[in-house]
Amino acid sequence: MTEENEINLIRGLRKQSPQAQQTMLDRYGRDVFALVARLVPVVENAEEVYQDVFIKVFKYINRYDETKSSLKTWLSRIAYNEAISHLRKHHEAMIYFEDFDGEALSDSEVDETFGHANAETVQLIRAALKHLPPDERALITMFYYDERSLKEIAYITESIPTTVASKLSRTRKKLCRIIKMLQS
Amino acid sequence: MTEQQLNTLREQDKNLRDAIQQDAMEQPQMPADLNVRLMQRVAAEKKQPRRIIWPWVAAACVAGMLMIWLTPPKDEAPEVAQTPATEVQQEAPLIAQQAPKEAPEVAQTPTPATEVQQPAPVAKKAPAKTKAQTAEPIATESMLPTQDQLALVHEPEKHASEAPAKTLTERDLPITRPENLKYTPEELALMKQQAHEAYLKWVELELEISKHYIEQTAQNE
Repeated sequence: MTEENEINLIRGLRKQSPQAQQTMLDRYGRDVFALVARLVPVVENAEEVYQDVFIKVFKYINRYDETKSSLKTWLSRIAYNEAISHLRKHHEAMIYFEDFDGEALSDSEVDETFGHANAETVQLIRAALKHLPPDERALITMFYYDERSLKEIAYITESIPTTVASKLSRTRKKLCRIIKMLQS
Repeated sequence: MTEQQLNTLREQDKNLRDAIQQDAMEQPQMPADLNVRLMQRVAAEKKQPRRIIWPWVAAACVAGMLMIWLTPPKDEAPEVAQTPATEVQQEAPLIAQQAPKEAPEVAQTPTPATEVQQPAPVAKKAPAKTKAQTAEPIATESMLPTQDQLALVHEPEKHASEAPAKTLTERDLPITRPENLKYTPEELALMKQQAHEAYLKWVELELEISKHYIEQTAQNE
């Protein structure tokens, strides 16, 4: 999408134009839903959060600052916060893997687990991902799947890039530990 | 860990990327009608009239400010009520006697606004007549206040100096001017009662007149 198109879209949104709102939903709806669904496991709840996200976006579009982030990143930030606050509000009972100081894993061991192409390991990683808390899962997905920069992730999660970097590194090791646990 | 190192790891971690990709592919898809429902919700929310409450809050604040501004200070009424009653008892006959200029102290004695039993016109007349008397003194010995009366008038002043009660004087604010008259609730009640009685009398008179007319008409017929 060209920059000019985005500017026109924002202008339309600021005028509360239904056409612009529809265009926004068509352009970014899927990405926002994917982000929300990653954090909120129940589909009905994810739909509710998705609607709340866009209601907020349409309402507070005047607060969007083009100099700070792109529209997509701003949307992701709102979606992330809305999903996290939904999880906090509803206290969905989920048990996740606790990262206690068990056996120390060497970097080479972690690199080997994730690096060497292996279908079995891929399935194990998928199983391990389910044991991660939603915010960590979202973080790792934003980095590996959406290929966002640390700065962008920091903006979305309202954090700083160095914190995001250390969280990513920790989550990577945690995943490896879960895989070992599942293997054993 | 730096961003560059992490980016290198992202490139290397093929298994992890594949796993996340497969996971993302298996995620529930967005329902087709979700956007339609959302737009319906947006339209419904737009239709609801917004309740603007800030003018009401502002109006309440203004009303509060006006109340504070217009309410008289608390210490005004008690001060007036504390005025010794003896002064008034002495003051009233003095005004009635229309004291001459020879006794200016008497005329300027503290005059409380509280216990003034005389209606405003009586108070008004006092200075006018005093002026007339200055030109043409008619004052007699019998009209002048006696020594006992003067002593009684000065006595409350002593009490006033001892007691914390404040009194109003004519020196600065001549009570003969109606705008300087301050009525107590009792006075106001009395005035109201008088007005009521006068009204009743007027009604009675009107009735009598009408009766008289009716009788006359009957007689003429």
